[in-house]
Amino acid sequence: MLKMLALVGLGLGLALPTAVIAHHGWGSYDAAHPITVTGPIETLKYENPHALITVKADDKVWTVTLAPTSRMQARGAPPEFVAVGKLVSAYGYASTVDKGEMRAERITIDGKTVELR
Amino acid sequence: MLHDAPQVLIALEQSAFAAAIRQSSWAYMTANVGHILALMVFVSAVVTMDARLLGAFAASPPATVVRPARRLAALGLLLMAGTGSMLFAAEATHVATNPVFQIKLVLIGLGILNALLAGRLLRDALEQTPAFTPLPTSARLAAVLSLLIWFATAACGRLIAYF
Repeated sequence: MLKMLALVGLGLGLALPTAVIAHHGWGSYDAAHPITVTGPIETLKYENPHALITVKADDKVWTVTLAPTSRMQARGAPPEFVAVGKLVSAYGYASTVDKGEMRAERITIDGKTVELR
Repeated sequence: MLHDAPQVLIALEQSAFAAAIRQSSWAYMTANVGHILALMVFVSAVVTMDARLLGAFAASPPATVVRPARRLAALGLLLMAGTGSMLFAAEATHVATNPVFQIKLVLIGLGILNALLAGRLLRDALEQTPAFTPLPTSARLAAVLSLLIWFATAACGRLIAYF
């Protein structure tokens, strides 16, 4: 049993230093300062777990995280709705880690607004 | 993140298998739901097994509870590994570099190690202990470790989305 505990301790000791290369998840968005990104859609990845578009705004090209594809479909945002070239206005929260990324709460295209949360 | 991830993870994420999971309207969702259902099977078996080691269900000889529960737990773990691999492949570079996922992997390793060691070291005690008789302290320690490790693993699983 002591041997088992020693192994557990050793395992934890070896493992923790590997945790330094970090990435972020749904928690690291600045919900206190919503932003609106407007511009033409440059690329579309209609994929799971979240559809992604890049939007050429005035300041820079934003990566805008949308919703799972099944929800997009259900809310009336099939791939054609978010097609490349369309003018989109995305309201949401900028990532606090990845400066060019934002998570859209809702998007407006051709005068139609789709809620994504 | 894609560019500074290890080559093998980039290759996995760009594989036809991973792309199919991302592009399917149901595959990712199904793997996600399946992962939770497998977790229910796994954790119910683990809790039953560990509860017996700690002295619950004392009227049943420990081996009659622990052995079948252990097989069920192994099945649940296998199903979780299968569905988890699908979820992982779809976003390999992001998930692998997530600190909570890295901790989760270590915990899974420790949990399996604890289960294998306990299975080996406690075999005789388990077979020979009749009903209404406490198991050795080592058995109870293994059960407590198992519960702590697997609950922490589940918490990490859910927390991947937030770090």
